[in-house]
Amino acid sequence: MALVEARQLTKVFRRPDKPPGLAGALRHLATRRYVEKVAVDHVDLSIEAGEAVAYVGPNGAGKSTTVKLLSGILQPTSGEVRIGGLVPQDDRMAVAHRIGVLFGQRTQLWWDLPVADSLAVLRDLYGVDEGTYRKRLKRFDEVLGLDDLMAVTGRKLSLGQRMRADLAAALVHGPEVVYLDEPTIGLDLSVKDRVREFFRELRDEGTTVMLTSHDLADIEGFCRRLVIIDEGRIVFDGDLEAVKDEFARDRILHVHTETRVDPDRVRAVLPGAVVAAGESPLWHSIRFDRFAITAGQAVAAVTGIAAVVDFRIDEPGIEDVIRRVYSGELRLAAETDAETDSEPDVEGSGEPDAVVTAP
Amino acid sequence: MVRLYFRFLGLHLRALLEYQSDFWVMAAATVLIQVVNLVFLSAVFARIPTLRGWSFWAVVAMFALMAIAEGVGSFFFEGTWRLSESINQGSLDYALVRPYPVVLQVTSAEIGINGLTNIITGGAMLATALAHLDVRWSVGLVLLAVVLPVCAVMIKVSVNLATNSISFWLAGPSPLFAMAVHQVGELARYPLSIFPTALKATLGLVVPFAFITTFPLGFLLGTGSSPWLGLLTPLVAAYCVALALVAFSRGLRRYESAGN
Amino acid sequence: MRGYRALARISAKNALTYRLEFAFALFGVLFQFVALLAVWRVLLADSTTGTGFTWPQMRGYLLVAFASGAVVGLFADFRMSFRIRSGLVALDLIKPVRYQEARFAEVLGGVWIEVLVVLLVGGVTVLVAGAPTWPGGAELALFTASMVLLIPLKFLVVYLCGLASFWTQNYVGVQWARIAIVNLFSGALVPLAYLPGWLASVAAWSPFAGMTSTPGLILIGRATGAQAAFLVAVQLGWVVVLWFGAKLLWRTAVRQLTVNGG
Repeated sequence: MALVEARQLTKVFRRPDKPPGLAGALRHLATRRYVEKVAVDHVDLSIEAGEAVAYVGPNGAGKSTTVKLLSGILQPTSGEVRIGGLVPQDDRMAVAHRIGVLFGQRTQLWWDLPVADSLAVLRDLYGVDEGTYRKRLKRFDEVLGLDDLMAVTGRKLSLGQRMRADLAAALVHGPEVVYLDEPTIGLDLSVKDRVREFFRELRDEGTTVMLTSHDLADIEGFCRRLVIIDEGRIVFDGDLEAVKDEFARDRILHVHTETRVDPDRVRAVLPGAVVAAGESPLWHSIRFDRFAITAGQAVAAVTGIAAVVDFRIDEPGIEDVIRRVYSGELRLAAETDAETDSEPDVEGSGEPDAVVTAP
Repeated sequence: MVRLYFRFLGLHLRALLEYQSDFWVMAAATVLIQVVNLVFLSAVFARIPTLRGWSFWAVVAMFALMAIAEGVGSFFFEGTWRLSESINQGSLDYALVRPYPVVLQVTSAEIGINGLTNIITGGAMLATALAHLDVRWSVGLVLLAVVLPVCAVMIKVSVNLATNSISFWLAGPSPLFAMAVHQVGELARYPLSIFPTALKATLGLVVPFAFITTFPLGFLLGTGSSPWLGLLTPLVAAYCVALALVAFSRGLRRYESAGN
Repeated sequence: MRGYRALARISAKNALTYRLEFAFALFGVLFQFVALLAVWRVLLADSTTGTGFTWPQMRGYLLVAFASGAVVGLFADFRMSFRIRSGLVALDLIKPVRYQEARFAEVLGGVWIEVLVVLLVGGVTVLVAGAPTWPGGAELALFTASMVLLIPLKFLVVYLCGLASFWTQNYVGVQWARIAIVNLFSGALVPLAYLPGWLASVAAWSPFAGMTSTPGLILIGRATGAQAAFLVAVQLGWVVVLWFGAKLLWRTAVRQLTVNGG
């Protein structure tokens, strides 16, 4: 059995549908209407020990709700969660020792205590022995520069400092599983880099990490596995590199020629490529499948028609792919396993958004 | 577990004591309130010997018991009053993933310094009152004189917790219902017998604050129409504690971690 | 004048928006009223010395005490204290209205709701316990004047305590102390006549007497004619003294703000 297991996990929020005003409140008392919102919809997920998983999705897709279900904060409406075989909602105490949670939007540090005191309370709370505690603090200091923050009161920390201290707070008990919910939100670039470096170390030590983020740069270079959730459902679960190979197969060649080029001539020599006018009459954008045509072939084809002054090649990142999933342009086959190579189902206008169409 | 609880409180106390002048303002205010109470009672009792069978010192003891119960609530369990705010802002999340009972994390989240002065002045008032009262002390009675006030305190604290737990159902930023019930305590400092029947029923059954003051003292002093009711205090306390814990854990299952 | 009217309107709106908080804030005063009614009913029934108040008199008196506790409620002072402690008061200083007048306008904006609550509670009391005997023409006018003066008087006491926030972060403590002192010295807990002689005269000459004792005694006919007029004059005197005293204190307090750096 995997370390983290979710079976048909579902969370429905019921909100009272209250018309505004006093009259509305009274009417609500009489009729009691509710609006139901399915935040997490029959999610199956299993994470093996030592895996690093990116959990991404647009705002309100159900990312945070999933994390809260997986850590036992919320009660599932149906389905169940098991962490190392235990249900976190029932075996709260036992599970608490095994998991660490960081909510980027919220601190767990005590508002009017210095960071050192907050961490010491957590040490006692989790029963971490002094030697281990010292060792961990030393490591946190090396990567996160914690020592400078130890004497600062919670309320006086800047956002970046707070996040560093909160990371230490979430990990002070050396959890096996760590959920990081938007851990880089609002941080400036230098802190982001530091924090990301820290995640990589964590992963290399064998900690199981589930990371939810808006910022796809957090994911690239960190996770092997990508899970995409949208409207409460998992729309993709598979290998990150495979996704890039599979869905980010297009390249765009932006080319500047000395003389005007007839797009049809390019199309003739590069079958399957989409050719569009570029930023000036001498620029063209050529979109091609990198498995059908190599970049060299594409450049050579243009060179055969006119002298090339300049060119550059855009490689769509995972960010692009996910954006296209969100916008509904790309429909990834649901329940995809990393092993089964299902054919991508590309829908949309036919004109990829990266290419500027001539007016 | 208990040691950790006091560790939490100690940390808050230390943070609080950094503002020394504020501490003294609060201390002075709570003492002043009790002094005013005493002046009021002595003015009232200057005219009549007893209030429905309760002497001046007996009523002082009732005021003292309520002060102690409220004081313990503030000093050791002040966090209870912040529950609605935590629910409203969804800040209970971390408490739920820590290996310590959630209810204790909630109640220890703050310390009310006024509780300390209330316990001290209340204790002094109770001791003085008991010294002036004609109690035929026996070993059993001394034991009860300890047990009953402890139960009384438990009743106040668990009513606080139960009423604050309603915030899991009524999503508002401040514990209005709990505050209203707390204010009922204003009435419970007087002998139950002076009130009309509806209030008697409220204080005896619905919000059993009469078991904080009238009934336990009635038993110790042999005052009131049915002193034996005081012996029910431990039962009422157990009932209130159980009810509060059930309300809290039921509520916790409804926790929706608002905010994103 | 327009600025002050706008402030009054906003505060009326706030009181309606936070009507629940507003209602619950009155619970403490209401329960104290109920408790005192019960205590005095028993006391006066058991009392053998016939010199004190009669039960209907005490009912009317306690109703005045309730009204005094209910008007000029919690909102204005908590907000004011918060703005001072957080330094937001600096924003109030740059507005083209005078600070003390502006706060008074806010109080006036909300006071009508409190008056409605008082009338409601008074109405219920009358329904349950019977109508009080109203004082004669001159005393009725004095009673009305005294009740009207009660509003600026209580405002000034609350406002002066609010200014304490320039010196302490702990406004709750200040507020509790204020309520305790006012309860005793205004005669809201126990009519001043019941207090020991020296305490009674201190209280009678204090500004707090105007907050329950003066209107209360006139209503139930225990202060009449020249004596009633004199009490109201003392009350008016205190309103004037405190109004200008508060202005002086405000000037000192603002200096405090600059020292702290806001």
